[in-house]
Amino acid sequence: MDTGSNEPKKRYQRYLEAVTGPFDDKRRWRQYKARVRALPENYRAAVEALERYLMHFGPGDGAEAASMFEDIADLFEHAAADGTPIREIFGENPVEFVEAFLQNYSSGSYVRRERERFADAVARAAGETPGDDERAVR
Amino acid sequence: MTEMLKGTLEGIVLAILATRPAYGYEITAWLRDQGFSDIAEGTVYALLVRIERRGLVDVEKVPSEKGPPRKVYSLNDRGRAYLDEFWTTWGFLAERLGRLREGGE
Repeated sequence: MDTGSNEPKKRYQRYLEAVTGPFDDKRRWRQYKARVRALPENYRAAVEALERYLMHFGPGDGAEAASMFEDIADLFEHAAADGTPIREIFGENPVEFVEAFLQNYSSGSYVRRERERFADAVARAAGETPGDDERAVR
Repeated sequence: MTEMLKGTLEGIVLAILATRPAYGYEITAWLRDQGFSDIAEGTVYALLVRIERRGLVDVEKVPSEKGPPRKVYSLNDRGRAYLDEFWTTWGFLAERLGRLREGGE
């Protein structure tokens, strides 16, 4: 859902965004919140639980986080329309589901930094040049 | 869901999409029909998000009678190449495991 224009941003807007974060991410966040409010009560409760978890472990980048929450809203709007029981969405192990889901998005800066540090330390210990191996870093 | 099934689910879903385009709920329903009964809808959805982000499928939004428009996924050329790779890996595994089962050589 990209309605953003390509016109150069006005100077005051650039300044404000530097202070408050991009408007577009905020708009997407508000739209997501409105979609969640419109869900039936038990689906909403499930999404709020997910939201709490994803806030901790999800991407730190605003646009990436917005995409992630939009994907959650898509899933639960369809589940509500189909009447899919909550347990069938999450399965027996909700953590397994949320971790599989999280892998689709870039990690939060804290997690990413520690992964980089870890992979670099192993590379140094192995006598290689750190930073060559991008595998561990997402 | 067993770890083994989890590892092959991506290949399974791509193989389903190789036969025809489908949306998420149809894929989950098909898997349940085929006896993969404990697969969570969310797990299939997470996988569909992944293959979409990796550019293995094309996505079309189709209006739905109930609820919001549905995303219909179809395998593209990149997805087909990826699926070929999956079958190669699968063949290798099946062959080696088959040998092990028969007592090794």
